[in-house]
Amino acid sequence: MFKKLLVVSLFLFTSLVLIGCTDKTGEAITLEFWHNYSASDGQVAVLETLIDEFEAENENVTIHPVYMEWQALKDSVALGANTGVLPDILRGDIAFVPQFQSLNVLLKVSDFDDYETAAAKVLTAPNSSNKMGTDYYGIASNTNTKILFYNKTLLQNAGVSVPTTLDQVWTASQTLTTGGKIGYVEPWTGIWNVGPYIWSNGGDVLAPDYSTATGYINSSIVVDVITTLKNLYAAGALAGPSMDPGAVGDTDGWASGLYAMQLDGPWRAASNNAANVNYEAIPLPAGSAGSVSVLGGENFMLFKTSAVAKQEAAWEFVKFMTDKHAQVEMAKVGQMPVNIEALADAEAIAAMPLLPVFATALATAKARPVIASWSEIENVIATKVALAITGQKDVQVAMDECATEINAILAD
Amino acid sequence: MITIADKIIKKTKRRLDWRALVIFLPGFLFVFIFTFYPMAKMLVMSFFDWKIGFNQVSPFVGFKNYIDVLSDPIARLSIVNTFAYAFVTVPLQIVIGLLVAVLINGIVKGSVGFRLGYYFPVISSWVVVALLFRYIFSNFGLLNYFLVDILHLSSEPIGWLSSRWSALFAAMMLGVWKGVGWNMVVFLAALQAVPKDQYEAADIDGANRIQKFFMITLPNIRGTMLFVIIMLSIGAFNTYTPITVLTGGNPAHQTEVVLTWMYFKTFNAFKMGYSAAFSVIVAIIIILITITLFSLSKWKRRD
Amino acid sequence: MKKNHKMTDKMMIPRYIILTLGLLIMIVPMLYMVLSSLKDNDKTFIYPPVLFPSLSELSLNNYQYILENVTFFRYLGNTLFVAIMTVLIAIVVSTTLAYSFARLDIPGKKIVFGFIISVMLLPGLAMIIPQFELAARMKLINNIWGVILFYAAWVTPFSTFLLKGYIEDNVPKEMDESIFIDGGSIFSVYRYIIIPIASPAVAAISISNFLYPFEELGWSQQILKLDELRTLPVAITMFFQAHSRTDWGYVFAMTTLAMIPVIAFYLLLQKYFISGMTSGAIKG
Repeated sequence: MFKKLLVVSLFLFTSLVLIGCTDKTGEAITLEFWHNYSASDGQVAVLETLIDEFEAENENVTIHPVYMEWQALKDSVALGANTGVLPDILRGDIAFVPQFQSLNVLLKVSDFDDYETAAAKVLTAPNSSNKMGTDYYGIASNTNTKILFYNKTLLQNAGVSVPTTLDQVWTASQTLTTGGKIGYVEPWTGIWNVGPYIWSNGGDVLAPDYSTATGYINSSIVVDVITTLKNLYAAGALAGPSMDPGAVGDTDGWASGLYAMQLDGPWRAASNNAANVNYEAIPLPAGSAGSVSVLGGENFMLFKTSAVAKQEAAWEFVKFMTDKHAQVEMAKVGQMPVNIEALADAEAIAAMPLLPVFATALATAKARPVIASWSEIENVIATKVALAITGQKDVQVAMDECATEINAILAD
Repeated sequence: MITIADKIIKKTKRRLDWRALVIFLPGFLFVFIFTFYPMAKMLVMSFFDWKIGFNQVSPFVGFKNYIDVLSDPIARLSIVNTFAYAFVTVPLQIVIGLLVAVLINGIVKGSVGFRLGYYFPVISSWVVVALLFRYIFSNFGLLNYFLVDILHLSSEPIGWLSSRWSALFAAMMLGVWKGVGWNMVVFLAALQAVPKDQYEAADIDGANRIQKFFMITLPNIRGTMLFVIIMLSIGAFNTYTPITVLTGGNPAHQTEVVLTWMYFKTFNAFKMGYSAAFSVIVAIIIILITITLFSLSKWKRRD
Repeated sequence: MKKNHKMTDKMMIPRYIILTLGLLIMIVPMLYMVLSSLKDNDKTFIYPPVLFPSLSELSLNNYQYILENVTFFRYLGNTLFVAIMTVLIAIVVSTTLAYSFARLDIPGKKIVFGFIISVMLLPGLAMIIPQFELAARMKLINNIWGVILFYAAWVTPFSTFLLKGYIEDNVPKEMDESIFIDGGSIFSVYRYIIIPIASPAVAAISISNFLYPFEELGWSQQILKLDELRTLPVAITMFFQAHSRTDWGYVFAMTTLAMIPVIAFYLLLQKYFISGMTSGAIKG
């Protein structure tokens, strides 16, 4: 029996070893491109078309796209940093830039002669997420911010009119929580999530020079915001897997008509369209200090571990991807352009009915601090805020602890 | 008196040396390169503020990482959670696995089918069964459906995954469900090795089923039991997928276990030295458990 | 007489009842998975749950989609190749090591065995950084052998441990010696005594080693970044993530398909499995 197994496997061995060991080397330049464009929204298909177009223009360059999820992108860069097992181009979250820069792997793209020309074509605010000191370590790929999505059917059924202030959002959430429906969903408790509510009421996370969190994250404004969320959670009007792992995920919950409102990005439009949800969206209704949403989006990053020829070819590709044509094509599949011309393009606007809403929100959206330890800091905030919202810790106590822990990280 | 045979054996044994190395060295080198070397490197890393970046210098920090781990409340919580997971899942898997093995050992027909059926969870994908368990235990899930809508035992859905212990309970149930089949196989093997004449002798003495189980079966499978306890304890300390999928360590890291917290520290905070030190601490805990179990079983055998 | 005793056993029917009830609990989740793979994507995690879907709801659409749109057989081929190579390397390494530890006169072998056991005790996650570095230095990134060699190394400690016990219990020293008397070397002992007698234990370890590549995710994802090299668990997870985490029907269809080779391998070797596990005992 074992002989049989051996023969079979030896056969498989000889036939498959060829697949396993083929090594592609040649004079032409092959660029490895890690990205997290979504496949279901058709973004991967558009990307492939764009790559074909680029390769037709640059015959010696081959782009090899590799899809990776958000966390996998981060894991892969962390693991490969030391030995230089890195891509030539990466398109990922704007929050990755300071973290990857702390690993000493990013190429200072502002050293390219034409960086300023390329950067001038894109919006300044999203591109500032690449700036550390006076240098740039990437260029914006696409931008986004969060706007308030609401399920029109649920609002009608509950007789709730569309909120015009942040306070009305919270009262509406209470009213909408009826008949097994839940008024508001917030999947996480980081600044990505609670930041807009804090900023819209005039609060902030850190001092402007990032020196301390005391007097900011534990200010009375923040405590008030978290207390409001805590009361909503206690009333069953606020749900989310990070506060309650048993809660239905936001995408599934929207699809089944469980959740009535959520502050979310362009992907929510895509998933709601796919699930035939009767929805509409508006900029976040203003708090006492206006309507300040959070700036999101993705950047293109290049790596200092690539060969110089590859870096130059990669830079050409990145310029191609941030130019009007590619940006309009990506807009058609839900990526908000950063290219100024593309933003005004009729085709792009037609493809994204919510573009004007996002544009309004973007005008006042705020970026999260661009510091290497941000991921660690946001984790502290998410943890303490979750403890406060779920009522396991007094809100003021939780936020005071939060400030102390953040200060320790800042001092490190 | 030395027989000729002994002489030949001795002579052969003396000539064995290079041949023994031919047999031993390839396997040893393989294990050395792929596991011993990384293990040693990890031990070294645990004494440095290890930088995982490109061309970065890692400063030596002595025992700082160890102190950091031991003074980190979430690390301590994750150790407590892991111990709780082990304390529940190890005995439950053993009891159920042994029961199933005894039952299967006692039937005449269909044992192959039962063996395959009970082994199904073992060969199923962790991620997928964890997703199914999340669905079972979620607020709008299978279990609440039965409790609220069918049996009317509760007026509102119970938040199984919403708080620390009930969420850990769900993870434990998943662990037990997936592990029973492996226990069954190991115990079946042990049961079949128990000498039949002992049972026949007990039959003559008029012993009943329960007496036979405790007087003959259990003592005969003691070695297997020890093996299973150690293996399952190691497994419990390596729990990762059930927690990641069921709760992601939420709410507020309260359901974090050793491995999920280590993962977080490695890949979200880039604290490699911390993770290495944590690994060493966990290994020491497991070694202590193993030694304790060994000495307990020896001490018990003496009386 | 023994047979008679069993046939008249009054406990026979209760045994079957308990075993069948237990079996239901064991296979209901699997059944739900298979049923979900036959349903529409949005019919999987709904409330109230549908336990017994009507026949009209079931179709092979998901399977059709997977086989047409996903290079499933490529991933399956990769995984099978990894699995078989892992099994073979683990057999060679663990039988030679187990034989060495059980019988051969090698200085320091107890220390080496202790190290091998300690590898089993150590949580593997923190070793991923040095191991990845090693794989990178050995040019094993985006190379299927980068997965095979490390898998084989990870399954070796347990396999060696089990085989060593099996050899000590089941292979009498006199058999070795009879080979020596006939003028054979330890090679002959390994070939004609150890391997044949230990084959049930080899089968037992091979079943779980075969399963490993069908289950392992993190390492494979890191080493094999090129789509055409990926193994099934990575391919399924990537598919799930790239499709906004809602295409349950497709995911379950892929998972169900992926289980077939594992079950087949188990059935092929299962008669050796139980007898091979008898060495799973520690002499305290």
